[in-house]
Amino acid sequence: MGFFESGNPVCVFVYFMAVSLCAMFSVEPVTVAISLLGAVVTRLCLGGRGHWREHGFALALFLGGTVINPVFNHNGTTVLFFVNDNPITLEALFYGAVSSGAIVAVIYWFRAFSAVMTGDRLLYVFGVFSPKLALMLSMALRYIPLFGEQARKVDIARKVSGAGGGDSLPDRIRSKLGVFWVMVTWTLENGIVTADSMEARGYGCGRRSFFSLYRFRPWDGAALGASLLLFGLFCAAKAAAALDFQFYPTFAFGEGGIMSGVGRGAYFLLAFMPAVIKAGEEIKWKFLRSGI
Amino acid sequence: MEILAVRDLSFTYAGNTEPTIENVCFSLEKGDFVAVCGATGSGKSTLLRCLKPELRPTGELSGDILLGSEPVDSLDRRAGASRIGYVMQRPEQQIVTDKVWHELAFGLENLGVKTDVIRRRVSEMAAYFGIESWFDRSVSTLSGGQKQLLNLASVMVMQPEVLILDEPTAQLDPIAASEFIATVAKLNRELGLTVIIAEHRLEDVVPASCKLLALRDGRVAAFGSTRQAAAELFGDGLLLGGMPAALRLGAALGEKENCPLTVSEGRRFIENSFDNRISSREHCREAVSGEKVLEFSDVFFRYERALPDVLRGLSFYARAGEVFCILGGNGSGKSTALFAAAGVNRPYSGKISVLGKNIRKYPGQSLYKNCVALLPQDAQTLFLCNTVAEELKDAGVTPEELPFDLGGLLARHPYDLSGGQQQLLALAKVLAAKPKILLADEPTKGLDAEAKMIVGNIFRSLSRTGKAVVVVTHDIEFAASVADRCAMFFRGEITSCDVPERFFADNSFYTTAANRMTRGYYSGVVTVEDAAELCRANGRKRP
Repeated sequence: MGFFESGNPVCVFVYFMAVSLCAMFSVEPVTVAISLLGAVVTRLCLGGRGHWREHGFALALFLGGTVINPVFNHNGTTVLFFVNDNPITLEALFYGAVSSGAIVAVIYWFRAFSAVMTGDRLLYVFGVFSPKLALMLSMALRYIPLFGEQARKVDIARKVSGAGGGDSLPDRIRSKLGVFWVMVTWTLENGIVTADSMEARGYGCGRRSFFSLYRFRPWDGAALGASLLLFGLFCAAKAAAALDFQFYPTFAFGEGGIMSGVGRGAYFLLAFMPAVIKAGEEIKWKFLRSGI
Repeated sequence: MEILAVRDLSFTYAGNTEPTIENVCFSLEKGDFVAVCGATGSGKSTLLRCLKPELRPTGELSGDILLGSEPVDSLDRRAGASRIGYVMQRPEQQIVTDKVWHELAFGLENLGVKTDVIRRRVSEMAAYFGIESWFDRSVSTLSGGQKQLLNLASVMVMQPEVLILDEPTAQLDPIAASEFIATVAKLNRELGLTVIIAEHRLEDVVPASCKLLALRDGRVAAFGSTRQAAAELFGDGLLLGGMPAALRLGAALGEKENCPLTVSEGRRFIENSFDNRISSREHCREAVSGEKVLEFSDVFFRYERALPDVLRGLSFYARAGEVFCILGGNGSGKSTALFAAAGVNRPYSGKISVLGKNIRKYPGQSLYKNCVALLPQDAQTLFLCNTVAEELKDAGVTPEELPFDLGGLLARHPYDLSGGQQQLLALAKVLAAKPKILLADEPTKGLDAEAKMIVGNIFRSLSRTGKAVVVVTHDIEFAASVADRCAMFFRGEITSCDVPERFFADNSFYTTAANRMTRGYYSGVVTVEDAAELCRANGRKRP
């Protein structure tokens, strides 16, 4: 298992926050292209290939966005052709492609994120920021299946004990309402047992610590540092207006000089980090196997 | 070394005038294993809760409770939480978090212990309890026995000096219960942990214990080493009811000196003290000859298409006027069969006929009108109202027409009743539909000996009025005493079926303790009374 599947969830979380923030603030064609390509590659690297419908939807969104913008937006100087006396311009078409590319990239980043961050790992991330919230979520996750199971039992028990009433609609509604009220009582009654059990194990006797199965290894630190550094460089370039782009009336890159190269390079490394790590792991495995 | 001393303890619940426990005195040495017994309402739970200040109910307490040399009330909350461990009855509701590992760590998190220490203690405990293989799982996927073991382990990670268990096995089946008690006994033996355990089912607890504390109406009836204290209870049928069969046999024969506690001791006791000139009891219950009201023929059932069959060609029948007990291991499909008879599980092949008519031909709820009723395992699932009186009114019965007395409880909340009382109320609700066939799923779970006897008597009297009673149970002793016929369920079908005398005489492992004690010496013995009768008929051996 690689870093993204089994590394420290906080580091993975920070990585995805960084990379998707960059994706959201990318407006310039080169960074959008990096973002889109990186997102798709990352998605394919982590958590299987995905269903064809998922990719079909993304493609449809991209093509739709590209085509729709020039239909409604007639800015730009390079007219390609006219539809009903309305000019369709190259600039508008290109703007549509870039902006829908950016949207699709963000979608892919989030899909990759949810493929890797299972409920457990997300809970851990919350826990680091707020142990109280994490405990509450954990208790809720414990309670929901318990409630469902008990409600099902009550429903069946009522029916087979002959207490379920008749077959008419009002009878059935009354019966279901009955089940609901039983569950309210049951929840309150059994909440007392849970509270006792918490109390007996010292809940509320001081500051709680927060335990999890995840460790923080040097590798996690390196990945965290790299994510933050690359994100910082991207932000600096963004602040220096090096990653701006003008679509209308004609295309024009921002005045970035060296900073635009730095920003794009940083983002390129950031976006392809999962793919690079994955490839590195594959090679290492091959190497190890041939060594056995 | 004295670790726990209780002196003149009395406790009166807020709002009551009479104390629930009165002048209780006892003291425990380090490493003691104490069984606390007493009928329902004798104050067992109240006493145990008084020992743990966090769980003490509101009310007035007098007397002293010392842990080591300090009064428990002067302990700060952190020390109190970790030094006295407490496990309660319901396995489900004691669990707080959603993952096994998180539950194990919960207590230590509360104490603010550092992550490294938690990691070490949790892994140590998980390994000791054999939890490693389900360490990562969600608690909702565990069985009842596993849940209770998790509760025990998550108390043990806090390294308590005294472990208090309040009826920890009441909701478990006998096999899981034995395993649980064995684990507690192992903790006591290997770690020198002091254990105080209250139970109704004492078959496993008493042989493992070194001391016995018996309560009667809130007072100490007997306290001392197990054998000695048990001998003081010989006259008390109620307290003896839950004791191991060997001890009951000793009591029936007045063996005060060296009363047997286990099956092997009981065997030695019989063979050393009594002849076997008269070696068999030729008394057999006769099979009932009523018409077949419930019949399964070649029934196959599975829960989902991809899952294996649970019922595999199940065939049996139940006659009007008989109590039919189905015994069998966990997961053998007993309860599934019962729910099939109640029309909940629909077989994909085979036929179930109820009163001579195919079960599929009962539209809607008509199967449950004066025909079939099922008493569920968890009586609480049947309760809807705030008082017992409302429950009865909801079911359409008056307290007077019931075959048992609920009169004193009418104003109580159903959840506040004891396990036995809850079961009776559930029975009252189920019988209100006037079923011709009563199906009961583990009706003796969590009941004390007296309540078991009452439930057994109700089943007997129902069968005398021409009803069929089909009981699915793990409780061999109960089946032996109430059944007209017993059946063994194994891998989705019934493998043997006979009247109890022949059924239990033919089994060598899955049989009553009395039968196991007398096997090869006497024949035809099923209950302790049978064994005692034969022993008396033979008379004591002369030394």
